[in-house]
Order: sequence, then structure tokens, then C-alpha cells
Amino acid sequence: MKVQENLRDIARKLLVNKEATLVIGYAPGSEVSRVIPAFIRKEEEVDHLIWNPLCVNNLAKYLLDYNQEPGKVAVVVKGCDSRAIVRLIQDNQIPREKIIILGIPCPGLLDPETVASRLNPNTQILSASLNEQAFSIQTEEGIFTFSRNESLLEKCRSCEHHTPVIADFMLGEEIPPANRVDPFEKVKKLEDLPVKDRSDYWDKQFQRCLRCYACRNVCPACTCRECVFDQAEPCWIAKANNLSENTAFHLIRAFHVAGRCVDCGECDRVCPVNIPLTLLNRKILKDIKDLFNVPTPGTNLNELPPLGSFTNSDPDEFM
Amino acid sequence: MNAYIITRDNLRTWIDALIRDYTLVAPVREEEKVSLFKPVGSFTEIDLNYTNSTISPKGWLFPQTEEMFFFFTSDNQINLEDACKPGTTILFGLRPCDVKGIIALDPVFNGTYQDCYYQMRRQNTILVCLCCTRVERHCFCNSMGGGPTNGEGADLLLTEMEDGYGIEVLTSRGEELVNKYHQLFAVDGDNRVSKTRDEMGKKLASQFSRKVDISGIKEFLDQHFELPYWNELAQRCLGCGICTFICPTCHCFDIFDQSPDGESGVRSRCWDSCMFSHFTRMAGGHNPRPTKKERIRNRFLHKLKYHRDRYNLDGCVGCGRCINKCPVNIDIRQIIADLQEVARYDQLPLS
Repeated sequence: MKVQENLRDIARKLLVNKEATLVIGYAPGSEVSRVIPAFIRKEEEVDHLIWNPLCVNNLAKYLLDYNQEPGKVAVVVKGCDSRAIVRLIQDNQIPREKIIILGIPCPGLLDPETVASRLNPNTQILSASLNEQAFSIQTEEGIFTFSRNESLLEKCRSCEHHTPVIADFMLGEEIPPANRVDPFEKVKKLEDLPVKDRSDYWDKQFQRCLRCYACRNVCPACTCRECVFDQAEPCWIAKANNLSENTAFHLIRAFHVAGRCVDCGECDRVCPVNIPLTLLNRKILKDIKDLFNVPTPGTNLNELPPLGSFTNSDPDEFM
Repeated sequence: MNAYIITRDNLRTWIDALIRDYTLVAPVREEEKVSLFKPVGSFTEIDLNYTNSTISPKGWLFPQTEEMFFFFTSDNQINLEDACKPGTTILFGLRPCDVKGIIALDPVFNGTYQDCYYQMRRQNTILVCLCCTRVERHCFCNSMGGGPTNGEGADLLLTEMEDGYGIEVLTSRGEELVNKYHQLFAVDGDNRVSKTRDEMGKKLASQFSRKVDISGIKEFLDQHFELPYWNELAQRCLGCGICTFICPTCHCFDIFDQSPDGESGVRSRCWDSCMFSHFTRMAGGHNPRPTKKERIRNRFLHKLKYHRDRYNLDGCVGCGRCINKCPVNIDIRQIIADLQEVARYDQLPLS
């Protein structure tokens, strides 16, 4: 729990020295498998901050709520989340000098559902560690181990950046890139299907979309002041929930974040009806990588997204 | 009222007969972790071992998108044509909390203003409730006046038994559904069904992970509209519509017309969510609930106060769906516990 101690120490110093007016991090949730985003302004609240393998939320987008904050805002990010910070800076959504990035090198997260299925929901995590084989969680009721293979969060299997790509304070030792599952494995499988099957697959997914817009609201690439889906005039998408409107919603959403989606997986996590949005985003990500030979958006602060910049070497077969 | 027992084989026959004679809507496992109420074509499609459907079944009485009427112009006149003509539907295998959700919706659509669309569906819908056999970690129906074996409000109440299902008839409509296929049922002469149900109820009562104390919450909220607590909660809210759309008692809707040519079209209504930023936005742009704080307060006041004020019913039935699905762990059980703390220690703004 060295990371957690470091986090609290630095958060405390930042607030006491008035270098930051707000620290956005994680705190324990209402049950053992959940954490909540925490907004810490007072020194005495600093000990609420936690770091454990259940800290799934990407906190970067909350920075948008505090862009009028008089002081600096510190935010806790994992490797995947850090790409979203770069994204927001590049999109001029947050000035670099107004934020303090508390980077946590993350070896991978635990699937909260797996934890929930084994632990008493009302217990508390006292400490957590991870070795190559297993997560070890110590609660008030004993030590529980979870095999890494079985309990690792799906998105962490193809983790590109364990260590944040940008940070003002790195709260743990850097974790070098490791062997990972090909993030495009499922995309390729789907690409290989006949058009009819692919169409049927997505129809089945979009059919049950509730249009709750959680995928949009959580997305660090969705930063429009007024979203097209909220506009009454012109009405791009009818409020009616049906396959046609739902499909239009999902395709517009995916194309709006094309080249800017940092592949943090939050849309996938929050979807209440388990629509595999990562698959849709990764298809576009894969195409962009194939076309422009670029890293995942948000990897380098100095490299603008391919669809948001112009170079003479851009492919131009379509012209 | 009467009670019957049906064997597993006969249950299958009964359900297939119901499918033949009515529209039968039942829980279906759509994906590994998604369970939905859908019209089914055969017994094998139904998953009676589900704990709680991902989305509440309210949509079968109050569809997410409901066509109200068609309109078209001719001879300088506007003509209207009814759109909604549902046949008799059986909602089969509802959990007790979802029946309670429907009971909470009834007075909303059946009060001073009689909502013909809801009424038509409600009158044509038979509710077959299925007692729970386990308690999920987010369930708290027992704190909200319900219980996993309390089928109050349903037409028939099913209890899983060792050798089949027990069926308790709660209304005359339910009785018809049994009488029509009476050869499939055996009369429960010695109260085996209610005994089994009572035992199950007792067994499950101890399995709830959390007991919630709502006593005094409404009275506290009556006196305290402004609480800094709502700010705290709003900070992490994403403003999405998950909680309202999967909730069995949320009932806000918006009405809109679709007309491709301006001459004819359809008027529909569609679920809306008080968590959306434009929910109360008025013509001209004014929004009386301008931030997440006002919106989240409105939602929880609806659940814990307004519904009681208006209908003397709780606006929450303790199904736990919103707790399970909220991406930022906004947990109504925790909110109730926090409000109890706020009330007890008087951590209030200067008033």
C-alpha cells in the first residue's frame, strides 16, 4: 500500500501548501467491490483517499467540471486514464498548467464482479497486492487471493500503458510494458464475418440500447458544450428508441470520437445493457492505426491526433 | 383464495398453452449478463432462474417509445387514428419487487388524469409473480415494505417447490388463467404452497446484505430541501439516464411528433430522464434545475418523499437495479443511511 501512502502524503502537501485546491481521487464505495470518485478539499479528508485494484473509474473527465476552479486541481490517473488527460489538454479543454497529475503505475485491475461474488459486501479492504500469479486482498475478514488469470479486468489484459504517459508526481515505480493480449483480436474476428452476420451482430446489440447516454457522459473524448444528441433544432436523432435511431446514435458517437478515443474502456464498463462499445471504438482505432501508422490517441502530448492535424504524407487515395 | 400445485412438466404445457392463447412476456437471458422481459414463442426461451431483469418490466405497460396516434390531413382537416391496440398480455415470472413497481405506477397514470394508454395496457395485462429463491447483494425490498415472497398486487403468485410450482390465486383474473387449463393443476388441500412460501420467506429474510432504515426520512426531507449533501453526491454523478431507465417506478416521458412530409405522421411519447441536463429546459433556455445538484436532489426526493406525498406509496421498491448499474456507485441505500446521519447530527446549512 505504498502507493496509497504516497498518494495521501502528496495530496496533503498539495492542499496544505495551497498548491492545489482540490484533489480528485478514489474513496471506498458503499460495498467492498466498489470505489467512488472522491473530491478532497480539506486536509482532514485526505485519508479518505485510497488506491486498490478496484479503482476502475477514469477520473480525467471530472476535470471539465472544474475548469473555472481558481486554484489548481490534482487528479489521480492510471496508465489508461492518463491518455485521456493528454486528450483533454490537446483539445484545449483543460490548460496543462491548471492541473497536477498524480500518476499511478497500475499493474492491472481486478474485475469488481469477481470480488463481489466472493467477499462480504460490507467488509473493508485493508490492503491489496499483486504478484505475477494472483491478487491478494486483505479485508477485515481475512486474506483472499484471486488468480490473475481469472480475475483480471478484461480491458487490462491488453493494457498498453501500465505507467501513466504523463504525470507531475509518479506515485509508484514505473511498470515496463509487458506481454499483452492483442487488443484487436475480437475486432479481427468480427471483421472476418460476412456482412450479413456482422450486421445481425450489431443489430442485436443496438436493439437493446436504452439511450441512457452513459457511454457519452463518461467519455473523455465527448466534450462538446452541447451534444448533437441533445439538440432539439435540428433534431439529428429522434428521441424514439428503435433500432434505426439507436444505430444512428452509436455510429455517430463512434465517429465523433474517432481518432480521439483513447481506448480507456469506460463506455464499455458503464453500459447497463453490456453493449460491447470497445469493439466499435477499436475497429475505428485499428483502421486509423493501419491508415496513418500512429500510436493510440493520447500517447504523446506533442503528437496531434491524425484526424485533427494535417501533413503532406497523409494518405490521399480517396481524392 | 385458492391454491394449486403444478408439476414441472405441466408447467411447461401450461406456459406453451398460454403462449398459444395470449402474448406471453417473460424473462429471457439475452446475453451472459443481460436478462430482459421479452415476448416468447416457447417455454424453452424462458429463464425462470433469473434474479432480477436488467431493465424493469415496466416497459410492457409504459413502453420506452409508445405511439399514441397517427395523424394525417385530408380535405383541409386533420384526422386522427388510434395507434395502440394491445391484446391481452401475460407478464410471467415477475419478481415481487417489480409487481410492487407496477402498483407504484398505477396511481400516477390512474389519478386525476386518466392515462388511456397506460390504462389500456394495464387492463389487458395479467401479472404472474414468481417468488424469489435467492437474494442478490443489492436487493433491499424488505426495507421498502416488500419481500422476496410477497406477491401482493399480482394476479397469480408462483412459488418454486421440490416437485413443481405452487400457485396461489390472488384475483379473479388469475383464477381464470388457472380454470381455463384446470386439468394441469392439482388442488393444494393442505396449505403446502403457503407453508413452502413462508419457509422460503423466512430463509431469505436473513440473506439481505443490508437493512435500510427509511423511518423519518420523508419527514426530514419535508423540512429540509436545501442540504449540502446533495452537492456532495452531485459531484460524482455523470448525469446519465441509467438509474431512471432501469428503475421500475420512474415514469417521466416526453411527447414528440414525427412527420416526414408535414402532412401526416405519428405522435409518440418516450421515456425521459430527470437526470438529463435538458430535462427541465424551457423554451427560451431557462432551466430551473441548472446543475447536477438540483437534478439528483429531485430524483431522490421523488423516490423518498414526493411519491409518498402524492400517493402514499414509496417511490422505491428496493429492487437494487440502480445500485448495481450506477457507474459511480450512487447507492440509494447509502443515501438513506447518510440522510439518517445528517438528520441525527444536524449537519445542516444555517437555516
